[in-house]
Amino acid sequence: MLAKLLLISLYTFKEIFKSKILYITLFIGIALMVMTYVATEFTYGTPDKVALDFGLGMLSLSSLGISLFLGATLLPNEINSRTVYMVISRPVPRWVFIIGKILGLIAILLINVLILSLMTLACSYLLGGEVNLVTIWAIVFNCLEAILLLLVVVFLSLFLNTTLATVVSLLILLLGHAIKETQETSFVKMRGYLNTVLEAYHLILPGFYKLNLKDFAIYQKTIETSYLVNAFLYGTFYSLFLLFLIIFIFNRKNID
Amino acid sequence: MLKFKEITKIFKTDLTSQPFVALDNVSFEIPTGSMVGFLGANGAGKTTSIKIIMDFIRADQGALEFSSELGKNKNDILKKIGFLPERPYFYPNLTGHEFLHFLGGLSELKKSQIDQNILKWAPRFKIDHALNRQLKTYSKGMLQRIGFLSTIIHDPEFIILDEPLSGLDPIGRKELKDVIVDVHKSGKTVFFSSHIVSDIEEICDRVIFLQTGKMVYDGGVQSLLNTHEQKDYLVKVQGYGFTPSVKHQEYTRLAGNITTFKINQQDREVLLAEVLNKKVELIGLEFIKPSLEEIFYNIRSK
Ligand SMILES: Nc1ncnc2c1ncn2[C@@H]1O[C@H](COP(=O)(O)OP(=O)(O)OP(=O)(O)O)[C@@H](O)[C@H]1O
Ligand SMILES: [Mg+2]
Repeated sequence: MLAKLLLISLYTFKEIFKSKILYITLFIGIALMVMTYVATEFTYGTPDKVALDFGLGMLSLSSLGISLFLGATLLPNEINSRTVYMVISRPVPRWVFIIGKILGLIAILLINVLILSLMTLACSYLLGGEVNLVTIWAIVFNCLEAILLLLVVVFLSLFLNTTLATVVSLLILLLGHAIKETQETSFVKMRGYLNTVLEAYHLILPGFYKLNLKDFAIYQKTIETSYLVNAFLYGTFYSLFLLFLIIFIFNRKNID
Repeated sequence: MLKFKEITKIFKTDLTSQPFVALDNVSFEIPTGSMVGFLGANGAGKTTSIKIIMDFIRADQGALEFSSELGKNKNDILKKIGFLPERPYFYPNLTGHEFLHFLGGLSELKKSQIDQNILKWAPRFKIDHALNRQLKTYSKGMLQRIGFLSTIIHDPEFIILDEPLSGLDPIGRKELKDVIVDVHKSGKTVFFSSHIVSDIEEICDRVIFLQTGKMVYDGGVQSLLNTHEQKDYLVKVQGYGFTPSVKHQEYTRLAGNITTFKINQQDREVLLAEVLNKKVELIGLEFIKPSLEEIFYNIRSK
């Protein structure tokens, strides 16, 4: 089974890779270098920080974008174009198909992250910044965030059409980032019931903000291990839970 | 090979509209080693039945039974099935070669076996020159052919094809039919749907006829032809002033004083005797064989 799973991942990867989506990555990479060059000319003091800030921002945006847009069509495309029939009419259980597809797309995500993080780190380093461990953690957690978003959108694409699945996932992503700050505003703090509502939200929908370590990487440069462990477990288990749900539903779905 | 037992499938599209009965208590059997045509007009429920066989969708009632020679669990059974969906579509960015290796690998073939089978079949399908091109550059006929190649690449025992001939030109149809016949002759069971009666009459030994979700006929092509035979003869004579005494239909009177009569089988002897007595010349005696097309047209209009 593992061999077939990897085969599906490999060909999913090949199919997406050849669609030239990673040109966008290269384009962002070049923009990053130009930007860095401009930064050295015009900013005083901390051009390395500008490079890091911009690089991590682009890295996060592009990987979330890939998750959102390619994730929303990952399964619907297979079903609409009936290519899924070619695969599951072979001795391939549906869960192998699903995990294979998702891993293939994650491979694309990781390549995008790898290219952009190498470029970001190189630019920042060349401008006198040092590569610190928190930056690496920020990049790893960015991957985790993109994977979580990917699973959210794949899950929704089982019920909603592509546009709706994309929009709702984007909303969940934005809410998942905004919720922390909302909870800390005095407006909410003064109203207990609102806080309860937000707590309830927390229990169900993913708190994406937990996986965003960019500020730590750029400004604080240190991070507590317990925070890392908690956030990592949170992201991983939430993802596994979603994956389980996706498989559960897809196994029972009429594919037509 | 397969028993399709009393299967009912109801689609509930949305809450407001009536549920739609796509298959109504349909039963049929596909004997091992047979070539079975699955006939029905658009919307008769052919694709729905095939999706149920492949477990893409589930029936509301009834059961499926694969014969034990295919294997016991789903994995073993699927290893021995070759399936080609209706209007197949392929990963556009993969090359033909990659596509065949992908599907062959999923059917648990080794790379060397896949290459061997490609070498064996690709020239026959005339796509060997295009295997290194991306599938999005293939024409419709080429896609249909590589689709069929992928269906038999793992040498399956039971081949299920949903409208394999649609979208092909007459030469392409003929070529694909020849391959299907060859594969069947090598001992495989073939089940294919079509709404073109003559294709089925030409190559199948059995036919299953479905009409708006209901079974109309399941059995041999020959026995169907025999039971619906009108047992008529066409008799052609040359000469003037001949009128048979038996019940007949007079057809054509050509300039060269040739007359054609249509008579019942039982009157054959009487008529022939009369022809010889009258000294008109008998120039043709033909048994009229109805085609499946005519038979199904009759069944449908009843
Ligand atoms: N998912 C679905 N929801 C609702 N109705 C459906 C669904 N799938 C099929 N049907 C209906 O079931 C009927 C049978 O469809 P099916 O695709 O099996 O026909 P078919 O015999 O394959 O026809 P064709 O020759 O056009 O391919 C049609 O009336 C179709 O509209
Ligand atoms: Mg059909």
